[in-house]
Amino acid sequence: MEKKVTKRGFGQHPWGYPESFTIAFSTLILGFIIQAFTGTGVSLPGWPVNIIIAAIFILYIFLIHRFVKHPVVKWFSSPQAAIAAISVFTILVLLMGFIPQRQAEAPEFLRLSGLNFITRSWAYLMTALLLLIILGFTIIRRFLPITVKNMAFFLNHAGLWIVIVAASLGSADLWRLSLPVEEGGVSFTAYDVNNKAYRLPFAVKLIDFEIEEYSPRLGLMRNSDGTLKMKKGDKLFEVEKGKEGMLDQFKLFVVNYYENSRKDSLRYDTSSMVGAAPAALVVAIDTREKDTVLGWISSGSFNVSPSYLPLNREVSLAMISPSPEKYSSKIRIFETMEEYHDFTVEVNKPVKFSGWKIYQVGYNERMGKWSNYSILELVKDPWLPVVYIGIFMILAGSLYLVWMGRAKKMEEK
Amino acid sequence: MTWIHYPIFVYITTFLWLMGLLMALYDQSRMYRIFRDILLMTGTATIILFSILLWHSLERPPFRTLAETRLWYSIFTAIIGLVIFYRWKMKWMLAYALVMAIVFLFINYFKPDTFDKTLMPALQSPWFIPHVIVYIIGYALLAVSSLIGIKGLYLLYKGKLVDKSIWLADNVVYIGFAFLTFGLLFGALWAKEAWGHYWTWDPKETWAFITWLVYLLYIHFRIRKRKSVKAALWILALAFVALLICWFGINYLPSAQSSVHVYSS
Ligand code: HEM
Repeated sequence: MEKKVTKRGFGQHPWGYPESFTIAFSTLILGFIIQAFTGTGVSLPGWPVNIIIAAIFILYIFLIHRFVKHPVVKWFSSPQAAIAAISVFTILVLLMGFIPQRQAEAPEFLRLSGLNFITRSWAYLMTALLLLIILGFTIIRRFLPITVKNMAFFLNHAGLWIVIVAASLGSADLWRLSLPVEEGGVSFTAYDVNNKAYRLPFAVKLIDFEIEEYSPRLGLMRNSDGTLKMKKGDKLFEVEKGKEGMLDQFKLFVVNYYENSRKDSLRYDTSSMVGAAPAALVVAIDTREKDTVLGWISSGSFNVSPSYLPLNREVSLAMISPSPEKYSSKIRIFETMEEYHDFTVEVNKPVKFSGWKIYQVGYNERMGKWSNYSILELVKDPWLPVVYIGIFMILAGSLYLVWMGRAKKMEEK
Repeated sequence: MTWIHYPIFVYITTFLWLMGLLMALYDQSRMYRIFRDILLMTGTATIILFSILLWHSLERPPFRTLAETRLWYSIFTAIIGLVIFYRWKMKWMLAYALVMAIVFLFINYFKPDTFDKTLMPALQSPWFIPHVIVYIIGYALLAVSSLIGIKGLYLLYKGKLVDKSIWLADNVVYIGFAFLTFGLLFGALWAKEAWGHYWTWDPKETWAFITWLVYLLYIHFRIRKRKSVKAALWILALAFVALLICWFGINYLPSAQSSVHVYSS
């Protein structure tokens, strides 16, 4: 059959790329204009307004799809509309990839257009909304008939729709509070990002804060400016009693090593003092100059000063403070004076307590393993299960993509 | 069965995999293929057997030390490579995955405990390995799709037919895109466990998302405009730029100065 080729004027239906991109870019620019006039970031409404908005949104798309028979409705679920919307959204995210976000001192035009806080700007809200509308219409149009292919399509698209909607609307209902507790102390006051204090319905006692550290390492330090002489990926020498190894032209031997020690006149000795630092007695043989030096070195701590071992005019041997391997807080949560529960909170191992998830986030880094406090984070994210449903839908839909690939074979075209 | 017996398993697996790979590259007859399958399967089974025996002797799942996790790296990479190979007949993917798996086996062999020993606490998670493996596979596939795209463009300018190239590119993009999606989502699930938020617009996340969006554009562009092969090939080449920035360039961007993914000491 011959295909008739007629030139379609701009705005004539069915709409194609020119109209799609015009609409998408207009949305973006409108967003910038609204941003410039309102001046501040958008804050989305919380419960229960957000669920009402979501419900009305879905209902609207459904009703329009069902009852309005206008070519524009068809356009809303066309690949051209999708491509234009995704393109404009990509441009916005691309700007986010280049412009540092949340900088206090940004140039005037960045602040006006909201480009230094994109995810809270009107431009972002409007383009994301356009994306969601188009995605919504597409999902409804392709929902039936129920075939394996359509199921995969549904899982990917509806999953993405759910993730974006639940994550954005849920952000207003998200609680994230920081809870610092001193060792031995009890606290029931937590703080939000703006340092506003909240009283918790329970009290948290920090029974113990623990850090396990990796062994300290040795490196060569430039005498001129005290910086380490190493490139990224260089191997460092890990300290262990009796260990031998090479660092540049120096052959090292660790004669003695104390994990916790204190300087005692000229030598180091084990110590249980707060702030005791690792120290090692090291022999260094300069294989080029045939020179040998022996001496104590220590990484020092907030309480004791470090010592270095000068090897020649340019470099000294230095011990690098051990980095934490894991840290955790033993806490006791009191619901009342008598009723309490014990937990251990560790990085990557949050604990759940009455609707909250409690994370280990920080400690007094200056004091390291002697830290006298722990910083916990309390997160309440009621929309999380919905986001997870969306995520697992996309995961399932993507498995289909791996297996089927581009379903239509070339021969069938 | 402990690490003492590890070398013998490594030798057997490596030998079987390499032989199987060789036969896969030159497959000619049915006999060839059966032989190839036996080699590949036995090789994989051998190293899986080792981890089961190791598990048994340790009396705990071998997921704790670096050497143990690297063993899983190796096994999963090989399995993904095999699945993609059998489903899609991509010989290069099999070669890539097996060589990578062998490299992991040998890192364990030569330096069981070095290499990233001082893993910061947030990285010590069961999510770490799947997150990285699926990204590596995704990036490899997408990089290949871009190579196909560039070859297609070259053919196009020479006035040759590119139908086969674009068909291959489509499939590779679909699979690679799915793995990129896995990477993003595993990262999100992990971040929730480690930091309490699944998405923070960290620069690396942002760039991975940009890369994802550009390939998403490609996929949707291919739905209708079957004839605009040239534009599609250009999108592929462009997507590669985003991929490279995400992979290598991220450390140099002004927006990335506070990324949790830029590790420096
Ligand atoms: C997880 C992300 C996504 C994946 C994996 C995905 C994948 C796909 C695939 C594979 C198709 C082809 C279906 C077919 O040929 O039958 C498709 C079609 C389509 N997608 Fe997506 N997509 C995603 C996100 C989006 C988004 C964000 C939009 C819109 C803003 C969108 C709009 C469309 C449209 C309009 C079609 C054409 C449907 C049709 O013509 O029947 N998709 N998508």
